Amino acid sequence: MTLTTDISANTQVALLLTAPLLAKRGGASSVLLQPNEYRRFTRFLHENDWRPADLLTKDAENVLLHERLPFDADRLRLLLARGFLLSQAMEQWHSRAIWVVGATDKDYPPRLIQLEKNAPPLLYGCGDPALLNQGGLAVVGSRHVDEEVLNYAESIGRLAARSQHMLISGGARGVDQAAMRGALEAGGGVLGVLSNDLQRAALHREHRDLLTDGQLVLVSPYDPAAGFNVGNAMRRNKMVYAMADAALVVNSDFQQGGTWAGAVEQLDKLKLLPVYVRSERGKAFESLIQKGAHLWPHPNTSEAFQQTLRLQPTQQSSPKQTSFWS
Amino acid sequence: MKYQHFRALELLRLGTEQPGAQFRDGQEEAIRHVVEGDGPLLIVQRTGWGKSFIYFIAIKLLREAGLGPAVLISPLLSLMRNQIAAAKRMGIHAETINSDNANDWYPIEDRIRRQEVDVLLISPERLRNQRFNDEVLAHVADKVGLLVVDEAHCISDWGHDFRPDYRRVERIVRMLPANLRMLATTATATDRVVDDLKSLPGLNFSVHRGDLNRPSLMLQTIRLPNQAERLAWLAERMGEMDGSGVIYTLTIRDAVRVRDWLQAKGFNVEAYTSESGASRPELEQALLDNDVKALVATTALGMGFDKPDLAFVFHYQAPGSVIHYYQQVGRAGRALDRAYGVLLSGPEELDISDYFIQRAFPSRQDVESLTAALEHAPQGLSESELKRQVNMRPGRIDKAIHLLSLESPPPIVREGSNWQLTASRLSETFWERVERLTELRRKELNQMQEYVRLESGHMEFLVRALDGDPERVATPALQPLPTSIDHHLVREAVTFLQRTSITIEPRKQWPYSGFQEMSKRTIPFCLRASVGRALCMWGDVGWGDLVREGKYRDGRFSDELVEACAHLMREWAPSPPPTWVVPIPSLRRPELVPEFTQRLAESLGLPCHRVLERTQDHPEQKGMENSTYQAQNVLRSLHIRNQPLPGPALLVDDIVDSRWTMTVAAYLLRSHGGGEVFPLSLSQAGGSV
Repeated sequence: MTLTTDISANTQVALLLTAPLLAKRGGASSVLLQPNEYRRFTRFLHENDWRPADLLTKDAENVLLHERLPFDADRLRLLLARGFLLSQAMEQWHSRAIWVVGATDKDYPPRLIQLEKNAPPLLYGCGDPALLNQGGLAVVGSRHVDEEVLNYAESIGRLAARSQHMLISGGARGVDQAAMRGALEAGGGVLGVLSNDLQRAALHREHRDLLTDGQLVLVSPYDPAAGFNVGNAMRRNKMVYAMADAALVVNSDFQQGGTWAGAVEQLDKLKLLPVYVRSERGKAFESLIQKGAHLWPHPNTSEAFQQTLRLQPTQQSSPKQTSFWS
Repeated sequence: MKYQHFRALELLRLGTEQPGAQFRDGQEEAIRHVVEGDGPLLIVQRTGWGKSFIYFIAIKLLREAGLGPAVLISPLLSLMRNQIAAAKRMGIHAETINSDNANDWYPIEDRIRRQEVDVLLISPERLRNQRFNDEVLAHVADKVGLLVVDEAHCISDWGHDFRPDYRRVERIVRMLPANLRMLATTATATDRVVDDLKSLPGLNFSVHRGDLNRPSLMLQTIRLPNQAERLAWLAERMGEMDGSGVIYTLTIRDAVRVRDWLQAKGFNVEAYTSESGASRPELEQALLDNDVKALVATTALGMGFDKPDLAFVFHYQAPGSVIHYYQQVGRAGRALDRAYGVLLSGPEELDISDYFIQRAFPSRQDVESLTAALEHAPQGLSESELKRQVNMRPGRIDKAIHLLSLESPPPIVREGSNWQLTASRLSETFWERVERLTELRRKELNQMQEYVRLESGHMEFLVRALDGDPERVATPALQPLPTSIDHHLVREAVTFLQRTSITIEPRKQWPYSGFQEMSKRTIPFCLRASVGRALCMWGDVGWGDLVREGKYRDGRFSDELVEACAHLMREWAPSPPPTWVVPIPSLRRPELVPEFTQRLAESLGLPCHRVLERTQDHPEQKGMENSTYQAQNVLRSLHIRNQPLPGPALLVDDIVDSRWTMTVAAYLLRSHGGGEVFPLSLSQAGGSV
């Protein structure tokens, strides 16, 4: 397992500049670089042949005194002076078996790199990181659903387990947790991409054996102590899709809610993977199918399940090109 | 940041109060290194070289350049008073945070928030206190300009000082980004420790051990198996010593005993132990001012204590390692031409050191019991809940959770007030470390015993053991002290040792409220035992040996012990005086205590009545590790057989350990109409150290 004690200097800088570090305390949070600001900053460094790690050396002043520095130098100095706090935060994560990787580290999941500008600069996690690169089926849906939908989500989890594929979900109440439960109980591997409270989830007794035995891995792009926040939950959805080979929408509201927004974004913009819907009925599913979603073929065998993951995403235009010209 | 020579020199002169002071070799380079941010630095320098000037001058220069305050981690804060006074002269505002001054935290917090504090001094243990982290450190953690780690040898597993909390310090040091200034210092680092510290990332080294030789010291070892002989030797030699000194003992009990003996012989001595609490500064000052002839001290009188004219350091027992011995004896004669360092050695020192070595780490079974209890508690368990559920001594539970929580990564973590299992399992490397450290401690103990056996070349032996240069060791100016003993004094010491009886405090509470359907946790006053006495400590010199022989060899306690108890009764004179005597029965040795009690009763002229009985073969009390288990065990097996007599009773047992047997017996006797119950035990167990 990657230990927080061994993180790279580049990642240390990413943490110093962007991470709240022991979120509960507040402190410098208002001056933190937002992910897009940090991306701008790394572009500036790259253009001048510097790496983030250079900010921890005596070269730092050269960087901070550069005439085209995109941010106020004192703001960066303030953030870079948080070294002791960083070591304390890492100690706290380390003691809860939480690791952190930065976008330039070799352990950073390649699947997240396809998110390009939406790729989080940091990823926190608990459990075996090797599980991050195995793809699998993403299951998305609402928090508040009836018993029938929950049973269905659980059965999808069991199906993924039986076919020896990972199940990926956001770890929220409702559909997410039902699908994870189904897969875990059937002995399958599960990746939970959390938008909040990774630290608490890492200590959850029911998770412990699964985390240590390499059956479950939990990750989050947000501080391990961060609480729930709608914006974070929405942004996290992109990552659920990015980590999978195919996604199944178990239920969705029409034109509202996170599930809808995530599926539409995937079908209209990102187009990273095939998106399935559970049925043809209902306004939401109908219009998702119009946008290119497929009807879930209800595979019964491992081979059939495998087929559903191999389908190519519907390509209406090249996303690469879009971002190139944007 | 540019280093400013003249300002640094000015600060040195302010700090030393010497207008002409100059930097010593290496001091200025070290300050420049830290100030200019040239990477983490380790300094190995002997005590007295002036390491504290390095960090205090660096802190002042950095603060003047606008950097955030410094954090200094040291296990010996209480002993830094002199250094802090020097810092104050340089205009540095230092604040110390420790468990003793929790009431002052708020004003200190305020000063920290107002940016008025230049350096925060904390012990490594502080970093595990959540309140400290959240409420005090939180105000500086995001702007700390310099981290100073004192006694850095503790970071190494190969150090002679095992301080578990330095595991956390090590991780913090490893995780620090390279732009944070870090300075580590130590006075005692063998080659092995230095090699270990070199594995820390990016650490620059400045190693100057200085000369370890102490030409003024006359070192000597004398083996005296009997404690009475050692007491006699001390009483005879103390009178011949010029100036004042320190007498080191291995245990608090011995410190108190040696003090009592020497005071009885008319010497002005005081005990200095971890139990001296708030009077420690006062005791240190008394020694500094030569107001006492000697302090009889445990290792509580530690590294920071500096009295240049200390005339002698005697040891009542040999410590567990040569480095510890060197540190302790090295306090003598720092600024004198001649001083004595005499080590008295007796067989119990090995038992004591062995006990410390064995007790240093939890066993696999300890860890399994703790993990199993936590496994069944998804919300975790508080420390008191753990103590109720796990059959281990409370002290052992504390130690085990402390060590486990410092593992990397730790298998348990504290969330709020509860301990929880984490998603990390205790790795096998933990047990490898335990084994390695235990073996290391045994090697150190053997090396110390080699020293004890030396006929000559004591200083050379010490210098070599510390990886110093033995070439420069010369013959000391003083003659060795006589090894002969006055036999009259030995006889007096024997009587002294036999006279010391021990108080047994009654238990006032059941283990927890609701215990065994008792209506209250507090035991009603009218059902408690009165304060009792034990003749001696189990296995101790004096009477201890006779008790052990009686119990395990002869199956009968000797008449000498009857006489000793009768004598104790006369001196003690409990009030109201007992009118009858009752023995504690045992199924394992049914006649041992009752038969002894019968003889004691006859000698006291009182009737003996066997009103208590044991109804089931219970496991021996000493196998029960904690209060809940011990109390339950006794309550289930001890019963009233006959109606107790109404008057005050003398309750007799051979060994008192947890005090639950005495407590329950008194409870039963008194709730069945008996009067006051005065416990009398031949010996007290559990306190062998």
